[in-house]
Amino acid sequence: MKIATQDAAKSRRSRSTEAVILFCIGAQTFAIAADAVQEIRSTDSLATAAIEMELAEVPKVRHLVERSHRTYFVVSGCAHFGLRVTRPTLVLILRQIRTAVLVDSIERMADVPKVYALPQAFQGEEREWYRGLIYLEDRVIPVIKPDGFLTPQEFARLDHASRAIAARQEMEGAVPA
Amino acid sequence: MSSAENHVRKSWVLLHVGNRRFALPAESVMELAPPVRLHNFPHTSKLIAGVIVRRGRIVPVYDVAPVLCGRESSVHRFYLIAERAFGSASEASAIPVNGECELATGEMQPPQEDAPAYFAGTLAIENENIDVLDLQELVSAGSKNPSPAIQAEARP
Repeated sequence: MKIATQDAAKSRRSRSTEAVILFCIGAQTFAIAADAVQEIRSTDSLATAAIEMELAEVPKVRHLVERSHRTYFVVSGCAHFGLRVTRPTLVLILRQIRTAVLVDSIERMADVPKVYALPQAFQGEEREWYRGLIYLEDRVIPVIKPDGFLTPQEFARLDHASRAIAARQEMEGAVPA
Repeated sequence: MSSAENHVRKSWVLLHVGNRRFALPAESVMELAPPVRLHNFPHTSKLIAGVIVRRGRIVPVYDVAPVLCGRESSVHRFYLIAERAFGSASEASAIPVNGECELATGEMQPPQEDAPAYFAGTLAIENENIDVLDLQELVSAGSKNPSPAIQAEARP
């Protein structure tokens, strides 16, 4: 009986908090739900697998990578948030969304009790970027919306461009040396 | 006092922005907050300088000095927190002030003809004509006509 009570208390605790990954782009810290990230890789480890692509309409994407038979578009975190260009060392490969994000560093993981709604005063692109805000150790940190990096229209353009790249590579491979 | 008189003669909070005094309806003012940390994160909303945390709430801070005074002011260390309407809801909103706020009672007169829309009227207090701010119009004006200083480029 005592054990069940402790379990219930533990369960209540775990339900009332959310695990987030704190990461940095430049001097800015962001948070993302831990369960929204599939894996974190170094940019070096993905360098050989990355395929360059340039699309004037989506300048924040310069590469795509194939992971588990899926194409992920690599978004520059600096370009997305309008931050000064840095030298990213890590890639957050997101779960369920074909987006990978270049970031500078991982700060740590944290359990947060509450995600505050973004105040209505914010009416710009940030409404698409952020799920809300957390207040952690005297810092207000925006919580990223994983599907806010690329719009459906941008995905369509990138898919079109990636198909063209694949077709070109196929043609090049078919030409006898 | 008739209901009409009661409507126009009411309490106002006088605040300093830059070197000028302005007024806000007292009923819209929630508190004068002490200097607390201003938190920034990337956004594209004009006029917003960041957010502060006050009484368990995250409160956006509107940097209205460039709109009202034409330049940013470095002397603002306190925050006057007032309610801003969003449709039927409202949200606590902070304006940086220098801390010298006072309560006054007076009748609001119509604004001058050429006054911007964010001046709801004027108050004659201590031989001074003080413009009454319409917070909603003020932040809207700032959003439409941002000065370079308040471009909300990501501010780390």
